[in-house]
Amino acid sequence: MRSALSAMRRAVDRTAPEQASAQGSAALARPAAVIQVQHVTKTYALGDVAVHALRGIGLTVQRGEYVAIIGASGSGKSTLMHIIGCLDLPTSGRYLLDGIDVAAMSEDELSDVRNRKIGFVFQSFNLIPRTSALQNVELPLVYGGIRSTTERQHRAERALAMVGLGDRLDHQPNELSGGQQQRVAIARALVTNPSIVLADEPTGALDSAATVELLDIFDRLHQSGRTVILITHEADVAARAHRVIRLMDGQIISDDAREGDSSGSRVPATAGKSQP
Amino acid sequence: MNRQNVRIALQGIAGNRLRSALTMLGIMIGVGSVILLVAVGNGSAVSIQNSIDSLGTNTLTVFAGGGFFGPGGHSAGTQSQQVTLTAKDVRNLSKSYNAPDLSALSPVDSDGGVTASHDGSTWTASSFEGVYPSYASIENEQLRAGQFISEADLADHAKVVVLGTTAVKSLFGSASDNPIGAQVNFSGTTFTVIGILKSKGSSSIERLDTTALIPATTMQDHYTGTSGGYSEIVASSTSPTTVDAAKSEITSTLASDHDLTTSTASNDFTVESASTLISASTSSSHTFTVLLGAVAAISLLVGGIGVMNIMLVTVTERTREIGIRKAIGARRSDILGQFLVEAVLLSVLGGVLGIGAGIIGSTFKIVGVQPVIALYSVFLAFGFAVLIGLFFGIYPANRAATLRPIDALRYE
Repeated sequence: MRSALSAMRRAVDRTAPEQASAQGSAALARPAAVIQVQHVTKTYALGDVAVHALRGIGLTVQRGEYVAIIGASGSGKSTLMHIIGCLDLPTSGRYLLDGIDVAAMSEDELSDVRNRKIGFVFQSFNLIPRTSALQNVELPLVYGGIRSTTERQHRAERALAMVGLGDRLDHQPNELSGGQQQRVAIARALVTNPSIVLADEPTGALDSAATVELLDIFDRLHQSGRTVILITHEADVAARAHRVIRLMDGQIISDDAREGDSSGSRVPATAGKSQP
Repeated sequence: MNRQNVRIALQGIAGNRLRSALTMLGIMIGVGSVILLVAVGNGSAVSIQNSIDSLGTNTLTVFAGGGFFGPGGHSAGTQSQQVTLTAKDVRNLSKSYNAPDLSALSPVDSDGGVTASHDGSTWTASSFEGVYPSYASIENEQLRAGQFISEADLADHAKVVVLGTTAVKSLFGSASDNPIGAQVNFSGTTFTVIGILKSKGSSSIERLDTTALIPATTMQDHYTGTSGGYSEIVASSTSPTTVDAAKSEITSTLASDHDLTTSTASNDFTVESASTLISASTSSSHTFTVLLGAVAAISLLVGGIGVMNIMLVTVTERTREIGIRKAIGARRSDILGQFLVEAVLLSVLGGVLGIGAGIIGSTFKIVGVQPVIALYSVFLAFGFAVLIGLFFGIYPANRAATLRPIDALRYE
C-alpha cells in the first residue's frame, strides 16, 4: 500500500527534534508562532442557507502557550478548532502551521501533519470500538509507519502509563469509565509526541473529579513545553489556561492573557462577559 | 499490503459475525457450486469415456447408408434402403492386401421385430443379430456362461443363440439364470442357448444387454435371406494407433467395390471409429460442463454483489470510525487498504469454505453421475472469488477513503 520510502520519510521526520523550547526557538530559522490564523472565514451551505461559522478570525499562538477558547454553542469555536487541527479547510483567509500554508498541502500531507504535529482530543472520546486501549493508542504509530510491533507497544504502554492507565492496557472502551476513556484518548493524542495538543470540550462528558484529573494532565503537558489549545464553556476549565479567547458569532470578541504569559497582541479582558 | 491492515480487517469481520458469515455463505455457495457442477459435468464425460473405452478404442463400425453422425443420419438417407454391405464386401475386407491394418471383422445382420418365446414367456428381440465368431473380441463381449458362436457353428449354419442378460431375464424369469442348453423359439425357429453375455451395464452406449446373437449364416437362412445385405460391419484395427489407417482402407476398398469415389461414398456407407464417438461425446459433454459452470458462476456473481452490499453497509456504519482514523493520521491509502482487505478476506474465506463444500459434495452421486473434480475449476472458482472481492470491494473502500475527515467525524 504505502511505499517504504514515504514510511521512511515519516520516521525520519518524527525523529527530528519536533520542538525546541519556546525560549530556544527564537534562535532557529523557523518562525516562533506555531499557529497563525489570518482573516479566516468559513461558510457552510446548510440546504439553501449559507451559514457563516467564522467571519474573519485572526489569531496567533506562540510555541508553548496554553490557550482556552470559550464561547456559546454556535459561536464557531469548534469550526475554528477543526481548521487549526487540519480536519477542515477555511473558505477564505490563510492558516499557517509552523509557517506553512495548509491550503498548499495534499490530502496525504495533511494526514501526516495530523499524525505527527497534532494530537486531537474530542469531547466524545472517539475511541475505536471493540479495540483495546493499547491498540487504540498504538494506531497513530501504525499510521505513522512504525513497523516494529514491540516499539509501537512500548511507546503506547508508556503513553498510557503517563495518563495513569498502565493497568488498563487490554480493556476495551466499553469496559472503561468516561474519565478513563478520555485519558486513553489523550494517550493516543500524545503517543506520536506532537508539539500541539488540541482538545474540543475534553471535560464536557466528565464528572468534576475526572475533570480535575484531566486538567492536571493538560497542565503537565503545558509544563513539558507543548502548545495546548482547548475549547470549553466551563469557567473553571478556562481558568487553568494562560490565555482565554472568547468567540461570539464567528468573531473573536476578547483575547485575555494571564499570569504574565507574554506573547502576541492582547485585548483587555471584558469582565462579566463569561459564559451564562 | 501490511499486516496491520489484515489485523484491522479481521477485527472488522469478527465484529459482526453473523453478517460476515452470511456474506461468506454467498461466496461459499458460489464457489462450491462452480466446483460441484463442473465436477458433475466432468464426471458424466468420464463415464461416457469409460464406456467408449470398454467398447474398444480400436473398434470400427461400417454402417449402410449415412451413419449416426454422417450426412443423412443412420437409415434416413435415400441410399439406405438399398443393399450396400454384402458378403462380397466382407470377403474383400478380410483380404489383408486390401486392409492390412484390420485384425478382425464381422458382419452384423440384424432382423427387427423377431419375437422370442420359451415356455410361455415371450420377448421382443430388439437387437437380434447374425454375426461371426470374431464379433465377441471386436465388441469386447465377455461370456458369463457357456461359449460364443464358433467357426463350426458358422459353417454348419447351426441353430444356436447367445443371449444378453435382459433376454435371459425376460425369457427365464431371472437375470442370473444360466439356461445353457435351453430351447428358445425365435419367430418359429427353435434355437439352443449356448452362451450368456456378461452384463455391460446401463451406461454402455451401443450394445445393450438386450442382444440375442446367432451365426450370420443361420440368420440368412431363416430370416434375412442370402440376397439381402448387412446393416453393419464391425471391425477392429491391429492397434488403437492404426484406427485411422484402417478406416481409410475400409473406405477405399468399399468405394472401389461399389464403383464410387471416396467423395460420393458417404451416401452409400459410413465408417465410424471409437474416436469419432469420443470426439462427438467430448464436445457434447463439454457443452454440458460449460453450461453448468456458467449457471454456477452466476451464483458466484450474486455472492459478489452480496460482498459489495455488506461493505457499503459497513462503510456507512463505520463512517465515524473512518473519521477518527483520519483525524489521527490515516492516509487515504490506509483506509482504502483496510476496507479492501476486509472485502477480499470475506471472499477468500468464503472461497476456502466453498472449496471444502465442493469437495465434500463431490463425494456423493448426483443424478446418477459420480462427480469428478476438475482441478482447474477449483483454481478458477477461487481466483474468481478473490477477483470478485477485489472488484466489488473497490467501490465501497474508495468511498470510505475519500470521505472528508470532518464530514466523517460529524456523521451520526
